[in-house]
Amino acid sequence: MAEINTIDGIVVVTLSGELDNHEANRIRSTISSSIYAGQVRAIIWNLERLAFMDSAGIGLILGRMRDLVPYNGETVILNPSATMEKIFNFSGLGSMIRHCTVETALGEIGGVLHEK
Amino acid sequence: MRNEMTLSFVAIEENEALARMAMTCFITPLDPTLEEISEFKTIVSEAVTNAIIHGYECDGTSLVTIHAIMDENKVTMTVQDEGNGIFDVEQAMEPMFTTKPMMERSGMGFTIMESFSDQLTVESTVGHGTVVKFEKTFSPVTEASSMR
Repeated sequence: MAEINTIDGIVVVTLSGELDNHEANRIRSTISSSIYAGQVRAIIWNLERLAFMDSAGIGLILGRMRDLVPYNGETVILNPSATMEKIFNFSGLGSMIRHCTVETALGEIGGVLHEK
Repeated sequence: MRNEMTLSFVAIEENEALARMAMTCFITPLDPTLEEISEFKTIVSEAVTNAIIHGYECDGTSLVTIHAIMDENKVTMTVQDEGNGIFDVEQAMEPMFTTKPMMERSGMGFTIMESFSDQLTVESTVGHGTVVKFEKTFSPVTEASSMR
């Protein structure tokens, strides 16, 4: 499952359950739409609640990095499990990994948290 | 302990989860660590996804077959399809190589399978199908954990 929030031009995608090829195909267009909604400068993939991910996750994240190219947007991969971290490292995405809270990651990108 | 199983299912994406779940249950008696479980699940997921989407192009009728043998703490598993086959196995195993970039396949499947298993062999014939064989040895069951 993917929960998507856009905070001050930063799309936060919180994934849960199991991210395989089937799930990636199910959630891809929703995530892309939120990027195309405009003025997006970064995407944070919060994987803290994700129980499983295979290479479909790499495809999904690389694909959204392409979506972000016109906006010059940044990608942050937040709190992956040890196994996921290995998969990201094999794929050259290791440098995008951060282990911190969503709030800290938002702060580092320069997002402002608005009270609801 | 020694155990052996065979599981066959039609080539639809929904069965990726079925295969992972069944194979996770199969290795449970080995009392694997969380990391061993997730690495093993990833191997299964990559191999089965390849068979479903590359071997059979999600045709929904052809069968993917998993055969697994557990011998003490070593698991040998084959994932077999009788589908398209791989034109150039060596090229297919290169990191980032994919025949389906439009489907956002990352081309990392074989790299991951190789890294997370002790041994990986791929036999494929164009038009006849593919057999991917793995071996993975799990950390021995300790006395404390077998008492649980």
